[in-house]
Amino acid sequence: MTILRAEALTKMYGSASQPIYAVRDLNITIAEGEFVAIMGPSGSGKSTALYVMGGLDQPTSGHVWLRDQDLTTLPDDALSRVRRESIGFVFQFFNLIPVLTAAENVAMPMILNGMPRKEALERAHTSLKQVDLADRATHRPSELSGGQQQRAAIARALASQPAIILADEPTGNLDSRSSDEVVQILRNTVDQYKQTLVLVTHDPRVAAHADRIVFIKDGRIVDENNLKGAGSAEQIREQLSRVALSEG
Amino acid sequence: MTTTKSSLQPATLGQMTRMGLRYLSGRKLRTVLTTLAIVFGVALIFAINLTLPTMMSLFNSSLSVYGGADIAIASATGASFTPEEILSRVTAVEGVSAASGVLRRQFTLPSVGNELGSANSVELIGLDPTGIQTVRQFAISEGRFLQPDDSGAVVMPAGIAELAPALGLGTRFPLISSTGIRFYTIVGFTAEQGNLAVPPLYMALSDVQAAFNQPGLVNQIEISVQPGADRTAVTDAILAELGSGYVNAAGLDNSDLVATVQIGLTVMNLFGVLALFLGAFLIFNTFRTIVIERRRDLAMLRAIGATRRQVTTMILIESLLQGIIGTLIGLVFGYGLAALLFSVLGNAFRTYFPSTHFELSLNFGAVAMAVVLGLLASLLAGYFPARSAGKTSPLDAMRPAAVNINRATRSSLIIGGILIGVSIVMLLAGTKTAVGGAVLFLFGMIVAAPGLVIPMARLFSPLLTLWFAREGDLARGNLQRQPGRAAITASTLMIGLAVLILMAAVVSAFGILLERLSDVNFSSDVIITPPSIGVYTNVLGADESLMQRLEALPEVETAASLRYALSSVNGTSVNVLGIDPERYTQVASLAFSQGDAETAFAALTSGRGAIMTGIGASTLNLQLGDEVVLQTANGEQTYTIVGIGNDIMSFKINAVFISQANLAADFNKREDVLLMLNYVPDTDEEAALAAVNAVLADYPQFTAHPTGQYRAELINTTSAAFGMFYSIAVLILIPAALGLLNTLTINILERTREIGIVRAVGGSRKQVRRIVTSEALLLGIFGSALGVLAGVAMSYGFIGAFSTIGWDVPYIFPAAGVVAAIIVGVLLALFASVLPARSAAKLDIIRALQYE
Ligand SMILES: Nc1ncnc2c1ncn2[C@@H]1O[C@H](COP(=O)(O)OP(=O)(O)OP(=O)(O)O)[C@@H](O)[C@H]1O
Ligand SMILES: [Mg+2]
Repeated sequence: MTILRAEALTKMYGSASQPIYAVRDLNITIAEGEFVAIMGPSGSGKSTALYVMGGLDQPTSGHVWLRDQDLTTLPDDALSRVRRESIGFVFQFFNLIPVLTAAENVAMPMILNGMPRKEALERAHTSLKQVDLADRATHRPSELSGGQQQRAAIARALASQPAIILADEPTGNLDSRSSDEVVQILRNTVDQYKQTLVLVTHDPRVAAHADRIVFIKDGRIVDENNLKGAGSAEQIREQLSRVALSEG
Repeated sequence: MTTTKSSLQPATLGQMTRMGLRYLSGRKLRTVLTTLAIVFGVALIFAINLTLPTMMSLFNSSLSVYGGADIAIASATGASFTPEEILSRVTAVEGVSAASGVLRRQFTLPSVGNELGSANSVELIGLDPTGIQTVRQFAISEGRFLQPDDSGAVVMPAGIAELAPALGLGTRFPLISSTGIRFYTIVGFTAEQGNLAVPPLYMALSDVQAAFNQPGLVNQIEISVQPGADRTAVTDAILAELGSGYVNAAGLDNSDLVATVQIGLTVMNLFGVLALFLGAFLIFNTFRTIVIERRRDLAMLRAIGATRRQVTTMILIESLLQGIIGTLIGLVFGYGLAALLFSVLGNAFRTYFPSTHFELSLNFGAVAMAVVLGLLASLLAGYFPARSAGKTSPLDAMRPAAVNINRATRSSLIIGGILIGVSIVMLLAGTKTAVGGAVLFLFGMIVAAPGLVIPMARLFSPLLTLWFAREGDLARGNLQRQPGRAAITASTLMIGLAVLILMAAVVSAFGILLERLSDVNFSSDVIITPPSIGVYTNVLGADESLMQRLEALPEVETAASLRYALSSVNGTSVNVLGIDPERYTQVASLAFSQGDAETAFAALTSGRGAIMTGIGASTLNLQLGDEVVLQTANGEQTYTIVGIGNDIMSFKINAVFISQANLAADFNKREDVLLMLNYVPDTDEEAALAAVNAVLADYPQFTAHPTGQYRAELINTTSAAFGMFYSIAVLILIPAALGLLNTLTINILERTREIGIVRAVGGSRKQVRRIVTSEALLLGIFGSALGVLAGVAMSYGFIGAFSTIGWDVPYIFPAAGVVAAIIVGVLLALFASVLPARSAAKLDIIRALQYE
């Protein structure tokens, strides 16, 4: 079943006379329980595409369907609600609110949704356990390592059991060991809970865990790789450089 | 998951409060400084509203003219009346058991030769010895009560003997009256403590009528009701019977005094509100910084699904938290301030009002007002930053901010410029719009300030480079980086300094006005004044005999007098001054703003003509030729305004001058409360004064002064009173200083890492300190420049507005105020920079570099 579908998605910056297309006529379908990696050269529009698909930004044209809801037609409040109830985000930096503990950060979307604090914190603990961070629940972000911070952000994304998790280079800032831990956790949630996941990365070893890789260049999908989690990092790296060198 | 439309559930709000507290405690210094701004305003408002109303109610209760009878009725203006007809009408009312006429009045005693202990006022209460005992009973502790054939007999509260131990049964003592000094003998003491500030002296009605020169008159009817009758119902029935000329005496208070205290209360409250407004400015400044500083956190909240409203609410909660903390501390400080005031004033009060309960008590109104204003100010200050926080895009978490400072400052310049333009037109258009123009000008300056930061910094920084060659440029850059913040800080300073200049200008305009009025007013040779001028209610004047005796002196050519009664126009109380135009014009005149002296004075004697003071005319909205209905002792009477003019004694109150003949006919008043004399030409003034004083020996309530000397004294005391008011205005500079401190501190916190870099690449501590100092100086100069412009405009507008209330003064450029403002502004900035400069210089390099 399709969870998310982008249709003729275009995001343009600049003026009409000098347009810069960050995303151009992009079509993509994400199925339930699927783990999709997005790769592409720097500036190719990966983040932009992800933000628009996640309702953080509005496209210039085109549509994004989350299940049967067209996100591009929703007013801000409804979109905010979709973000806190149906979408989980993980970013490369500054994922956590510094004055909140790890558990409170994880509980925040639920609390924003009006869930009583106690219940939200209980759920947050369950979620932190999933990412193996239960013992750090009461720590502030400044007391966590980079990898731990990313795991807390993943716990937050998981906690509300969203329809889809969108992650923009969640391992971009981590050493290879922490990066492996994070990817492993993400892979497990997909396998165990049929969690749908879209992940932007530059790292072929991270992408290798995905079910499918989508290659983007100049805002368009230029290639795909249906590895079903069985691809090698080496092969992905080659494919990536082919994409980078190809004619736009 | 709960589907909610209103995203402000208790759990959400609770978590936001928790976050707010953590954010606030994460920046303790800034929080403290910002909170102080609210503390100051709230403390001021709270202290004022705790102290003044308590004192006012004390005044009221001590000055209440109501005795111990079931009901007391007085004429609406307090004037005296003939009792016979009224008494018979009152006793005919159902439920009334008995009624008796009373003539009672408080007056100020002369400061020398006073036999009644330390009291400086007494109240004579004239009673019909038999009649009054059918109305109420007196408990006699010593001696006896008054008897029908008593003359010169006095009964007084036993409590007085404590203040004046020399007084005992049989003691004979002198007392002033309007016909000269009279002697009285104490025949009894009542078993009451009494109001020792104004001791009541009970005497036979005829004695008091003689003392006040009001034969056959009373000013109150005391009434007892039949057992079982409803007192309220009987009162209503009596008032209905007597009509609008009579009122319940229990409801009377000393309206003159109360009105004065009330004006004081309003002015002080305005002051507190202004302080709070400046406090709100500081909070606004801080919260704008907070929103910029926390852009990433806010964006992250939006990314994980917080609505705009939730983000806005979160910042509002934080400003509310700060408001709550500031208000609570402000209440504590305010209470302390009030307690201090009470302990200072308390001793004086306890001596005079031993029977009253003199205690600082919390009243709900004062608490409510301080709390509401404190919270409102912080919420309002937080509102705009909170709204801009709500507009944070979720993408801001991932990208550096793109701020277009130029566009923002340009539009502020344009809008501010338009406001200033309109305000200048209003200022120049005429006196009616001048005050509005002055306020609008200030407002326009506040709006334009962000746009002025960069040009002003450019303009003044060459000046700075004289002392701070290199650091000056850095300081300029720092200010330009945050034009909004610099603008608000400078605006706070501007308001403080503008108020300073305004006060200076008003004080000097007042001085000019006083000089001018006294020129026309004080053309006599001698002025003879009662113990208190201005408030004539408590003055016991003299009957015709004094003036006759003075005029009989060979040295005196002319004598003229002023008489007094209280009246009201549509419920607004008006002082009525009686003059004899023919005599008055020989010794003095009025400064006319409408009409002219000749026709106006002549018109006083033909029918009912009245000359009104400027203040009176403007409060009652009257013009030359209008008719005005005065409440008199004999019902309502219509007077025609024949001129608008001021004299130095009454120019600040609602007053009308009418002829003494009309005053006698309509108000039953024949007492002279102030006299002026002209000598025959070439008199030896010293000898003449001695002759006048010899006559006054029988009227010790009066003092004679050579007019020139008196005039100088009056101007001096008035200026001194204004000077005091002026010094209070300086308090408004406290929030301005806090604002400077706050901004400099925020600037340093924000640039901690930069300061670390400056130090790491070899900048000395001294250089860092100089950067901060020069930044403060630049802010101070900027604020002073704005303050001078605003102060000049405000003083122009306000002094122009003087003429709408009948005070014509030319506008004189407040040069002294301007100089003072510049000095104060720059000194304040330097003073505020001391601590921030030191803490910046002391920063540990490594820690500064790691600061996030
Ligand atoms: N706010 C913006 N205004 C103008 N251009 C923008 C804006 N945001 C992105 N772009 C442009 O859109 C294009 C795509 O940017 P995007 O951030 O999506 O790339 P990316 O694939 O995520 O790159 P990277 O791998 O470096 O993160 C870039 O050319 C970028 O310059
Ligand atoms: Mg990117």
